[in-house]
Amino acid sequence: MTKYAKAVAAIKAMENYLLTYSDIEQLINASGKAEMESIIASKKGNGNETDTLENVWSTLMDYAPECEELKILLYKNDFHNLKAALKSMIAGREPDNYYIKPSNLNLDELKDILSSKDYGRLPEYMRETAENAYKLITKTLDGQLADSLIDCDTLKAMQKAAEKTGNSFMIRYALLNTVCADIKTAYRCCKMKKSVNFTENAICGSSEIEKDALVRAVTGGMETLISYLENSSYGDAAGLLEKSAAQFEKWCDDVITELAEQARMQSFGFEPLAAYYIAAEAEIKNLRILSICKEFGADRETVTERMRKLYV
Amino acid sequence: MTNGMVFALIGAALAALMAGIGSAKGVGLVGEAAAGVVSVDPSKFSKVLILQLLPGTQGLYGLLTAIILLSRVGIIGGTPAELTTAQGLAFLAAACPIAIVGLISAIFQGKTAAAGVGITAKKPEHNGKGIIMAAMVETYAILALLISILMIYNIAV
Repeated sequence: MTKYAKAVAAIKAMENYLLTYSDIEQLINASGKAEMESIIASKKGNGNETDTLENVWSTLMDYAPECEELKILLYKNDFHNLKAALKSMIAGREPDNYYIKPSNLNLDELKDILSSKDYGRLPEYMRETAENAYKLITKTLDGQLADSLIDCDTLKAMQKAAEKTGNSFMIRYALLNTVCADIKTAYRCCKMKKSVNFTENAICGSSEIEKDALVRAVTGGMETLISYLENSSYGDAAGLLEKSAAQFEKWCDDVITELAEQARMQSFGFEPLAAYYIAAEAEIKNLRILSICKEFGADRETVTERMRKLYV
Repeated sequence: MTNGMVFALIGAALAALMAGIGSAKGVGLVGEAAAGVVSVDPSKFSKVLILQLLPGTQGLYGLLTAIILLSRVGIIGGTPAELTTAQGLAFLAAACPIAIVGLISAIFQGKTAAAGVGITAKKPEHNGKGIIMAAMVETYAILALLISILMIYNIAV
């Protein structure tokens, strides 16, 4: 009940260094990269150790090294890295530039495992996926098919691991990730008029958005899909999808941040640690969007509408 | 030594032991949380230290009760009294409120104070609120101490 008391207290102190809405406002108004860097340095101090997600993760692992639940947060990166390693192996390239860190996997080992086809050395949640994806990609040479298989299995693995923890926060986290990914996939499949078979393989399904119903909606066309989503518990997402993909992406990130906001109220347990990681992820995404928008001279309104919800 | 004296000594031991265990657990938990905050921001040491001290009081109440009890039965500063079994059991019963409430309240106070450390970490200006919340739990330890002392002083020896 009082697990991770030290970690949670440390995280609460670290939250003071996260960017606030007024910091983001200042960053939006900044005239250039130098001013942005100076605003960030004044908030976080020099030699800040949480400037990359890898550093945030390593800090969390220092405080809670045995926390298995937190590892679910990295499943997306793990499966992405599997995709990167597989495709690089087929194309005869080095995968290092395509990897996302942090990851639960040792990335050098991953390359080695895939080339030796010794899938038993992979974590249990990705063994079957790696084997199936390899077979699929070597048989069809269709990267998209392998991608959709891995993406779908990512969500299934997250849901399964979350259910295994029995923790409501983690179950909701996996569910929201699945719902967002499924809506995105359904929208793309519908727009690109993908076959029913492809759509069926690409959509994972969840307790809130049932797979069969979503596939049926996709085959019915865009209007049927939007009307199906409008009548689901994610009606607001359907409205955003029609307006702009960027706003829908922002909505997906914001629902996860809202979940993190509830978890950070807890005084003990791993939930505030997971919430902090989600907040740091959103902050880094905001900074990336800001710097790209600045580089391309996007107007203030465009930047503001893309800014993710903050947790502080 | 009579059976009565043995029961009285068990009472004194329980008062010091159980309240002490509770305090050790409570102080330990807050210390863990405090160390987390200080590892990120060492300037908050003094503020979190106050919170860490709070669950330590139950141990002192247990010690105080044990000393008063030992003094009443003549183990400290006098001749050991020839206590009957009934008198010994009465002293044992008198030690129970602070022993039991001390143990439980110190653990719960530790949890509340550790949560208060979170307030101090995030909003140091609201440190007082964390202290007040933790201090509320203290009330019940004080009530138990009062009852234990009243009982010990009112047992005829």
